[in-house]
Amino acid sequence: MLEISQLDIYYGDLQALWDISIAVEDGSIVTLVGSNGAGKSSIMKAISGQLKPKNGNIIFDNQNLNRLPPHRIVDLGICLVPEGRRLFPGMSILENLEVGASRKSARKNKNVTLSWIYEMFPLLKERASQLAGTLSGGEQQMLAIGRALMSNPKLLLIDEMSLGLSPIVVQELSRIIQEINKSRKITVLLVEQDVQLALSLSDKGYIIENGRIVGYGNSSELLCSPQVKSVYLGMEMDRTSQ
Amino acid sequence: MLVMILVPLLANLGTGIMNQLVTLFIYILLAQSWNIIGGYTGQINLGIAAFFGCSVMITHFMWVAGIPIIVSVLVASLSTIILAIIIGIPTLRLKGMYFAVGTLALAQAIQVIMQNIFNRSIQTRGDYVQAYNINWRYYLGLAIVVIVLVAVYFIRKSKLGIALVAIREDEQAAQVTGVNTFKYKVISLLISAFIAGLAGGVYAYFRLYFYYTSDIFGLTWTFSAIMAVVIGGAGTLLGPVFGSIFLVILGYIFSLTLGQANLIVFGFLFILVMLFMPQGLMGGVNLFRQWISTWSRKSHNETGENI
Amino acid sequence: MADAFQVLLIGVVVGALYGLVALGFGLIMRIMKFINIAQGSFIILGGFICYWLVTIWHFDPYLSIPIVMLAMFIVGLILYRLLFSPLLKYPQAEMRLDKSLLITFGVVWILDNLEILIWTPNSRSVIPSYGYGTINIFGASLSYTGIIGLGLAILAAAVLHIILTRTYFGKHVRAATEDAVAAGLSGVNVQRTYLISCGIAVALSGLAGTVIVTSYSVTPGGGMSWLLTAMVVVTLAGSDNMNFMIPAGIILGVIQSASTLFISPAYQQPIALIIFLIIILFRPQGLFSKRVRVH
Repeated sequence: MLEISQLDIYYGDLQALWDISIAVEDGSIVTLVGSNGAGKSSIMKAISGQLKPKNGNIIFDNQNLNRLPPHRIVDLGICLVPEGRRLFPGMSILENLEVGASRKSARKNKNVTLSWIYEMFPLLKERASQLAGTLSGGEQQMLAIGRALMSNPKLLLIDEMSLGLSPIVVQELSRIIQEINKSRKITVLLVEQDVQLALSLSDKGYIIENGRIVGYGNSSELLCSPQVKSVYLGMEMDRTSQ
Repeated sequence: MLVMILVPLLANLGTGIMNQLVTLFIYILLAQSWNIIGGYTGQINLGIAAFFGCSVMITHFMWVAGIPIIVSVLVASLSTIILAIIIGIPTLRLKGMYFAVGTLALAQAIQVIMQNIFNRSIQTRGDYVQAYNINWRYYLGLAIVVIVLVAVYFIRKSKLGIALVAIREDEQAAQVTGVNTFKYKVISLLISAFIAGLAGGVYAYFRLYFYYTSDIFGLTWTFSAIMAVVIGGAGTLLGPVFGSIFLVILGYIFSLTLGQANLIVFGFLFILVMLFMPQGLMGGVNLFRQWISTWSRKSHNETGENI
Repeated sequence: MADAFQVLLIGVVVGALYGLVALGFGLIMRIMKFINIAQGSFIILGGFICYWLVTIWHFDPYLSIPIVMLAMFIVGLILYRLLFSPLLKYPQAEMRLDKSLLITFGVVWILDNLEILIWTPNSRSVIPSYGYGTINIFGASLSYTGIIGLGLAILAAAVLHIILTRTYFGKHVRAATEDAVAAGLSGVNVQRTYLISCGIAVALSGLAGTVIVTSYSVTPGGGMSWLLTAMVVVTLAGSDNMNFMIPAGIILGVIQSASTLFISPAYQQPIALIIFLIIILFRPQGLFSKRVRVH
């Protein structure tokens, strides 16, 4: 469904990603893991249209995304839950969700989608008129995911879902992601710092270090591999050496 | 430099050209004034006409009262600083827009007040008119321009100059590194006001009649200053000079050919420069210099390296 | 007592107009972080269009409003396309504010001088057939044009509010205002939203222009003073909420009007300046804003 080939990403004159190639199949959950600053979010930014690649291609359902602006990419069926959530703090929960349905095809089914979201996240329904800026971290993440889902995406991109959230909330969100993947056949591409979480949630995984892919494979295999263990440990080492 | 001093002494360039040259000096001063606060410090001053006009008035009245011109000019410029303090202290503490609004409001307010107090034309003493010698205006203008340019050169290199550019580039970052941005912005405005005051003083010496007060307090002066700086290159030493030369020459050509429409053409020119050549003429000069240096380096090395 | 009331009435009418001008200016500033100094010149342009519609084609000035607003809407679209969208490449608000300030300054220059060239520097005004009538309230008189102007200003603010809160477009605008990147990621076409908002803002200036040409007069170059007042009103209101523009305008109008009891009316501009300085010295976030801005 999504095919990224030989992507190079620059921030100005500084290269951040080298020769990235990723394949995401229909209906799967794929994860990108790696330490801080490895470049995972940059890949998400490229897919969602915030960054234009210098070289390489991003192809989604036979469409080349390279030059498209973000809203056109949403039109095609890809929606990003951004790192840090980036909600609209002065607008209510309901309004945030409504903006999520800006895509023309999503507007028609807005109410149907809305009731589905409310079913999944009853909290959002309860507090529908509350301002998004007053929500807690977990509630915000739920709203962010809900907002993205309002666009009826075929591919959901999630950037650092677990940051700052308690394990219980993370667990709940993971369950929900798996559920929408199974029941609605929504493909998920997930960037996660929590390697354990990411690999247990996904079917396939890519490991990114210093802007390059250093490994990939089935998530279950990766979980057991010594390389992953060292990256996992590598993350801890990086933290202490900083 | 010597040329500038000697030529008018030896040759009679004609009143037309001398007038243009003195006008040029005034524009250069006004442009440098705006350059200090707008170009180097990045704070957009829309009311420079107020500083200019007040200085013209004060210089005029002092001079007409018999005080020698140089003293009048200096005193007027110093009093312009007072105006700068009044408007600067409240507005410079806040985001740039407040400063822009404040200066604009000041310029309008002063124009209104002046128009009500002096609603007739302002004339000079007859004997001054008789004694008018364009050469004195020329030399005064030239001297002040040279002094100001030298001063700006030193300011640029000084701690003050570096602080101002830092404020322009990223005020928050400058604050965080301990620079008292408010203090420097105020200093910058005071210097700017002083230079504008000098420009006003020269103008008062130069033009003996003012028909309407809006002549000297009008937005035209502000626009001309900004335009000279933008076209020439903001935040550079020579940019305002080149911009003013450009303005004066073009203005002369246009006033012959286009009449009223020349102002409109300047407006278009201004917008075009802002959109497509934001560094102005100096930017072009710098690009040219860079191009030359990379070209000459390439012809020395086998492997031309890019910086 | 009747004197004071008359002053109050004048202040309210003028103030509502200030608020209307501030609405257009504030819209562009808040949504796109651009400063449109040319808003004043657009008002004058709108007034002139109305004037010519009335003079040449004998429209009723208030019926000409839709045409004027449509024309100015198009002007706004052009303004955005040509001058504002190139500035979007500067993501920081500061740079955008500064550059748009300068560029629209150039627009003022062009527009004002073009108007002087084409239409002469004379003031124009338009008197509708019922224009000289006044009604009497508690001993003070209020002209018909004044009432209509007041009504139009309040109507415009109300319509704007409805658009912003009830329509899709309005929600896109608010989302783009809060976080333009996130809005784009949610599927909002931010550029198009900006484009239309700019059109609306300039159309509002056209509306203000027709009110001004009927109640007062328009003169080429006279826009600056309206713009200035608009900026003071925006500062007074705090740029948080469009709903406070008209009230803030009325407050300014009343204060200015009240000051004429003590000093000559010619000095009203300086009064606005003084109010401006006082506000930014003591309450820079505006009268109505809840958040305290950290500087």
